[in-house]
Amino acid sequence: MLDNLSYSLKDALKKLAGKTIVDRAAVDELVKDLQRALLSADVNVKLVMDLSKAVRTRSLDEQLPKGTNVREHVLRIVYQELVRLVWASTEVRLEPQTILMAGLQGSGKTTTTAKLARYFQKKGMKVAVICADTFRPGAYEQLSTLCTRIHVPCYGNPAEKDAIKITREGLAALKEHELIIVDTQGRHALEPDLIQEIIDLNVITKATHRWLVIDAALGQQASEQAKRFHEAIGIDGVIITKMDGTAKGGGAMSAVAETKSGIAFIGAGETIEDLERFDADGFISRLLGMGDLKALYEKASEAIKAEDVDVNAIMKGKFTLRDMYKQLEALNKMGPLKQIMGMLPLGNMELPDGVLDVTSVKMVRYRIIMDSMTPNELDDPTLINSSRMARIAHGAGSTPDEVRELLKYFKTMQRTLKGLRGAGSGSKFSMQRLMKKFSGQQ
Amino acid sequence: MFGGLRERLQAVRNRLSSSIGAVVAPPAAEQDTTSPVASSTEPVKTAAPSFVDKVKVLVLERELIVSEKNVAEALSELELTLLESDVALPVTDAIIISVRKNLVGKHRKIGESVDAMVVSALKMALLEVLGKGFDLKEYITSHPHPVKILFTGVNGTGKTTSVAKIGSYLHKQGFSVVIGAGDTYRAGAIEQIAVHAERIGIKIIQHKEGADPSAVLFDTVQYAISHKIDVVLADTAGRFHTKSNLMNQLDKIKRVMKPDLVVYVDEAVAGNDAVIRAAEFDRTIGADAIVLTKADMDSRGGAAISIAHTIGKPLMFLGVGQGYDDIIPFDPVGVVNELLDSA
Repeated sequence: MLDNLSYSLKDALKKLAGKTIVDRAAVDELVKDLQRALLSADVNVKLVMDLSKAVRTRSLDEQLPKGTNVREHVLRIVYQELVRLVWASTEVRLEPQTILMAGLQGSGKTTTTAKLARYFQKKGMKVAVICADTFRPGAYEQLSTLCTRIHVPCYGNPAEKDAIKITREGLAALKEHELIIVDTQGRHALEPDLIQEIIDLNVITKATHRWLVIDAALGQQASEQAKRFHEAIGIDGVIITKMDGTAKGGGAMSAVAETKSGIAFIGAGETIEDLERFDADGFISRLLGMGDLKALYEKASEAIKAEDVDVNAIMKGKFTLRDMYKQLEALNKMGPLKQIMGMLPLGNMELPDGVLDVTSVKMVRYRIIMDSMTPNELDDPTLINSSRMARIAHGAGSTPDEVRELLKYFKTMQRTLKGLRGAGSGSKFSMQRLMKKFSGQQ
Repeated sequence: MFGGLRERLQAVRNRLSSSIGAVVAPPAAEQDTTSPVASSTEPVKTAAPSFVDKVKVLVLERELIVSEKNVAEALSELELTLLESDVALPVTDAIIISVRKNLVGKHRKIGESVDAMVVSALKMALLEVLGKGFDLKEYITSHPHPVKILFTGVNGTGKTTSVAKIGSYLHKQGFSVVIGAGDTYRAGAIEQIAVHAERIGIKIIQHKEGADPSAVLFDTVQYAISHKIDVVLADTAGRFHTKSNLMNQLDKIKRVMKPDLVVYVDEAVAGNDAVIRAAEFDRTIGADAIVLTKADMDSRGGAAISIAHTIGKPLMFLGVGQGYDDIIPFDPVGVVNELLDSA
C-alpha cells in the first residue's frame, strides 16, 4: 500500500548515510525528496510544506544526540513529524454506543458499516445497524444482505424517503442492542441540504462517535471535505477504505490532521473480515519501510493460535511443504498473503507477483492436495516423482498438472524466502537484524 | 468543476506575464550582463540562446528573448497550483516542461502582449494533455448496431450510476438502450441498477447475485441483437487493478461480449492513485474513453488532466451530480478556454 511512498523516502534517507555532520545541502535535498514523496501520496500541499519546514529546521537546529548518526537523527525527526501528522489512534471502547457513518459518495460507507458490525460482533457485543441511506437504489438491499450473512439485525425501509424518520424508528426498534451503527447516504460538502440532514441525524441519534469514511485514493480534496464535515457534526475518527489498492492514503492522512481526530480503522479487502484497527506508530513504521510487526501479531493472535503460523520458521528460510500447509490453513483467517507479507519487516523487497496472487480457491485446492501426501513427501518434496504425483493427484481428486503447479508454487515461494535470507549477511538471521537492515542502517 | 483551478491558473498567468514583462523595463541592463543566462538547472530541450544572439536580437530586431530565469519562479508557482489541484506529480512535471519549452527562447517584440504569449503557452500545454474529447452520439451513429459499451473501474467510483445516466442521456437522444447488470458481486448492486433502469424506462438484463457476469452480458448482447437495440451498456463490479483474478474475469467478459468501447470510470476527487490505476486498467483491459464522476465535489478537476495525460484517451463525460441529467459531454477546448480566457 504505502510502498511507493516509503520507497522514495528511503531513497532520500540513503543519501544521508555515512554523513557525520548535518549538512545543509543534504538536508535540503532530503526535504525536497520528502516533499515529492508526500505529494505523490496525496498528502495535502499545505501540510507537506509545514512538515518539510519543521523537518528542515529541526534537523539543522537540534543538537545531534550522542551515539546517533545523522541519518538516525533525521529519520527520527521525520518519523516524529509524521506521527504528529496522523495524530493518535482513535480509542474504540467496547461499550454501549451509537456510531454515525459519514462520507462522500462511493467511499465505502455501507461495506464498512457491515465490516464494523462484524468487528464488534466478534468482540462479543450485541450489534445492530440502521440503513439511513434513502437515496441510492439498492442501498438497503446491500446492507441487509451483508447483515443477514453475519446475523446482525438491520433496520430500514426502502419505500420510506425520510432518513430522519427511519433513524428515529430504528433507534426505538433496536433499543435492546448495545451498539448501533447508522449508515448514511453519501454526500459531499457542497450539498447544503444533505449536510443539514446529517446534522439532524447527529442530533437525534446522539451519536457517541461520528466517523468519516475516506477512500484511500482521495486526493487534495480530502482536507476541505473533512473540514466541512467536521464543522457540521464534529468528526472524531476516520476510517480509511480501499487500502488494498495502490492508493497511499495521504488524503485520509490530511483529513485526520484537519479534524484533529485519529484513524479508527483501515479497510483493505472485499470480504467482511477485512477491517483492521489502526495503529499510528505501526502506520508510520510501515511508511518508512520498517514493517508493522505489531499489527501482524495482533491479527494473528485473534485469528489463530500462535503455533499455527510460524513467522520465524518462514523467516529462517527453513521452509517446507509443511510450513506452506500451515500457512495456507491460517491464511483464510488472516487474509491474503500479500497483506501479511506487507506487514512483515521486509522493507520493500520486490516479491514476484505470482507468489502472492494465489487465490483463496486455489489455496483450498492446494491444501487438499497436500493432504494426500505422505509425511516424507511433505518434508522433502524432491521425493515426488511422476508415479507419486499420479498417486497424490488420484487421492486428492485432482490432476497431476495441478500437483505440479503446487510444487512450482512451493518452489517460487521457497526461492523468494531464500532470497530474503540471502540478502542478510551470513547464516544467522534474526528478526532484529532484518528490521535494522530494512530501516536503512546497514 | 474546474472553477478552483481556473482561479489559480489566472493568478499564475498574471504572475508569468509580470515576470516576463519585467524584462522590458531595463532593456539596457540586458546588454551589460556578462554572464549568459545559461545557468539552467534542469535540462530544457531548447538550447539557451547565447549572449551574442540575445544582444543581436535585441538591437537588430527590437525583440527580447524570454530566458529561463524570467519564468522560473512563476513556473514553480504553477507547479504548486497544479499539485494542489490534484494533478498527479508526473503529469505536473510534463505540463511544466511543456510551458517552459513554449516560453523559453521565444522571441518577443517589445510592446507585444506578454499576456497573449503566456496564455497560448498554457493553453497549448493543457490541450496537449487533455486530448480531443469523444463524441459518443457520433460514434454510435457511425458504427453498426448494437454498439456494445463496457464500463470498468475500481470500487465506488460510480460505474452503476454513470451507466444509468448515460442510458438516460442516450435514451433522450432517441437511441434504444439495454443495460446488462454485470455487477453480480456486490450485495444490492443488481437491485440498484434495476431500479435505475425502471425509472428511466430502459430494458435491463439481469441474473442472480453471484452469477457469471460474462453470461449476463452475453445474454444482454444477444437480446440487443434479436431486438435490434442500438446500444448495450454493460455494468461491471468494481475491482482493483491489483487483484489479478478479478482482472482475469474482466478479460473474460471482454472476450465473451466483444465490446466496441471500453469505458474507464474514475472519480474527479481521486489523487495521485488515479494515474496508477488508470494506467494499469489501460494496460490490462484497455480503455477507449473515460468517464469522470463526482466532478461536482471538486472545483479543481486535476484528476481529469492526470488521467487523460496518462493513458492518452479522451474524456467522454463528466458526472456532476446525483440526478440522471447530471452528466455533461466533455469538451476540452471549451474547458481550456474557460480556464484561461476571461478577465
